[in-house]
Amino acid sequence: MADVQFGLMMRAQFPAEDDMQLRFRELTAQAHLADKLGYASITNGMHYSSAPFQDFQQLPFLSRIMAEAPNLRLNFGIILLSLHKPLDIAESLATVDILSGGKVIFGAALGYRDVEFLAFGTSTKEKVKRFEENLIAIKRLWTEDVVNMKGSHFELKDASAATKPIQKPHPPIWIGANADVAIKRAARMGDCWYVNPHNRIDTIIRQTDVYRRALDEAGKPFPKEFPARREVFVARSREEAMRLCKPFLAKKYKAYHEWGQDKAMPEGDNDLGLDFDDLVRDRFLVGSPDEVAGQILDLNRQTGINHLIMSMQWPGMPQQMVLDTITMVAEEVFPRVRKG
Amino acid sequence: MKKMQFGVMLRGVFPQGDDMRTRFAELMEQARAMERLGYDSLTKGSHFSTYPMQEMVQIPFLSRVMAECPSLRLNAGIVLLALHKPLEVAENFATMDLMSGGKMIFGCALGYRDVEFKGFGVERKGAGRRFEENLDAIKKLWAGGPVTMKGSHFELEEARISVPLVQKPHPPVWLGANADKAIERAARLGDCWYLNPHQRLDTFQRQMEIYKRALDACGKPFPKELPMRREVFCAPTHEEAVRIAGPFLKSMYEAYEEWGQDKVMPAGDNDISQRYEELARDRFIVGSPDEVAEEMLRYHRLLGVNHIIMSVQGTGLPQSQVLETFELMAKEVFPKVQQGM
Repeated sequence: MADVQFGLMMRAQFPAEDDMQLRFRELTAQAHLADKLGYASITNGMHYSSAPFQDFQQLPFLSRIMAEAPNLRLNFGIILLSLHKPLDIAESLATVDILSGGKVIFGAALGYRDVEFLAFGTSTKEKVKRFEENLIAIKRLWTEDVVNMKGSHFELKDASAATKPIQKPHPPIWIGANADVAIKRAARMGDCWYVNPHNRIDTIIRQTDVYRRALDEAGKPFPKEFPARREVFVARSREEAMRLCKPFLAKKYKAYHEWGQDKAMPEGDNDLGLDFDDLVRDRFLVGSPDEVAGQILDLNRQTGINHLIMSMQWPGMPQQMVLDTITMVAEEVFPRVRKG
Repeated sequence: MKKMQFGVMLRGVFPQGDDMRTRFAELMEQARAMERLGYDSLTKGSHFSTYPMQEMVQIPFLSRVMAECPSLRLNAGIVLLALHKPLEVAENFATMDLMSGGKMIFGCALGYRDVEFKGFGVERKGAGRRFEENLDAIKKLWAGGPVTMKGSHFELEEARISVPLVQKPHPPVWLGANADKAIERAARLGDCWYLNPHQRLDTFQRQMEIYKRALDACGKPFPKELPMRREVFCAPTHEEAVRIAGPFLKSMYEAYEEWGQDKVMPAGDNDISQRYEELARDRFIVGSPDEVAEEMLRYHRLLGVNHIIMSVQGTGLPQSQVLETFELMAKEVFPKVQQGM
């Protein structure tokens, strides 16, 4: 038996020509379905200036979508923390936690796109410093009545999160990390490491050891909840699954490669420009329900990952295909995984 | 026939002990009532670090509430524009405009609280220039982009918003302004001036001349929509309205300079009602349905106001009374006002 939770990643990215009002209505239908079928969470990412894709902004999107899926946890997966001001993040997430009845997950990571750093008046050079000081400030705002703290780009002077989150001591903090040094930071500063979707499974296994050692060093236990995001697609057979998802998934990873996402990945696993079959192998969970359930169980046994955030839609994928996948995963993968 | 629009500014701040989940449920119920009763807009303010009060943040609140009231326009009244980064603001409002089917109103003004400026790492000095620079960048981004622009606190490099706006060219931009200089800025940069709830009618009459001259100076016509926020309370009789509204408006007028810190009046003192009437005249709209309607028409006739954003709850008015007031106004005030337009 494996006690694994399943989340739906609603990346909400669409091609440039798409009718976004229609796409929004489709996403609300996906949210209803996920809520009905027993998914545990909805995740939405954060990016600015997303061309060539169209994209909904994370804070308004998650705030709106909770009305469609009241049972689901809302994962801000992830917030590009170094771009922002801690007072803003602390209060905005506390508000969402109130509105949702205590469902916020605070995902955070460094980011990698120059256009975003520049637009927020910062740079890649400052990102680690800002990330760490922001995270410290946010935790303090959530847990202390009044905070006085001088940061490199803000000052909290008798400041307070205007409303505290419902979850105590605060919403869980999931820190996304690609490089080993960032994983060590996640161990130190987060409630858990939030495993990214791009790396190969053998990399995750190696890095889980890095994570465990870093936890030991920080005197912290292995987290009760250990989440990972993965690209997932199921169909009746592996061949069918590969055939159906390839046009959309391949294009998305070509864009990641162009955006420079792989530059942030570890040595030996930092090329997302591979041929599709090579890209999928040992990385994405694509296959029949049996195969994918088997892969999830393997991952759980080898690393302890027990909250699987699944991206099952890439730009251009038709709504019906997405709904079918959401359904098939719930009806055929969940029970197989739970049975072990 | 000209039409008056009616909006409500939902209560923003709550005392420390309040259960915010309950308050949230009440605000959602109020939004649904406004939808049902045919109100035109819902307004939510923005503040940070309101301790010891509690507050819900503007963007998540407006995004959530739109599910309860799909017909209502949603006024971000106001965004503290100098605090933020323009790409973030432009993007968030584009998403909200898209999700709401084109209902956003972009209210904005300069803030005034130190804790907010410091929290966002912004100097008070030069905040006006930063405000203008942000608004300029936001409008360029809303136009579609890509935008390349070097600002004093940000840089845009072929940046674009990630979702198109529904409203063209963009959501209406309402500029809040108290001082004469700010009113000139509102004429230059806004779709309209968003009149504040604190000043008396006679002050506005004077300032309206400044506004009109400033509009002429930049070759802009008088705006089609002129919104004003006001403290409004309506009950079947004048006495009842003053009796109910009095206690919560009291806490607000105690903050005004003319009241003074040493002038604490005992309860039941006749002077309270006299002083209240003095303070309320030409500032609060509190009375019977006929009086409220008449006063609203007066603002329309004297200033050209055609969208009244009503703050009706103050602090502590119970939910049932708030809902009753919404109902009373919709049934007995709005039709009278529309008839008189």
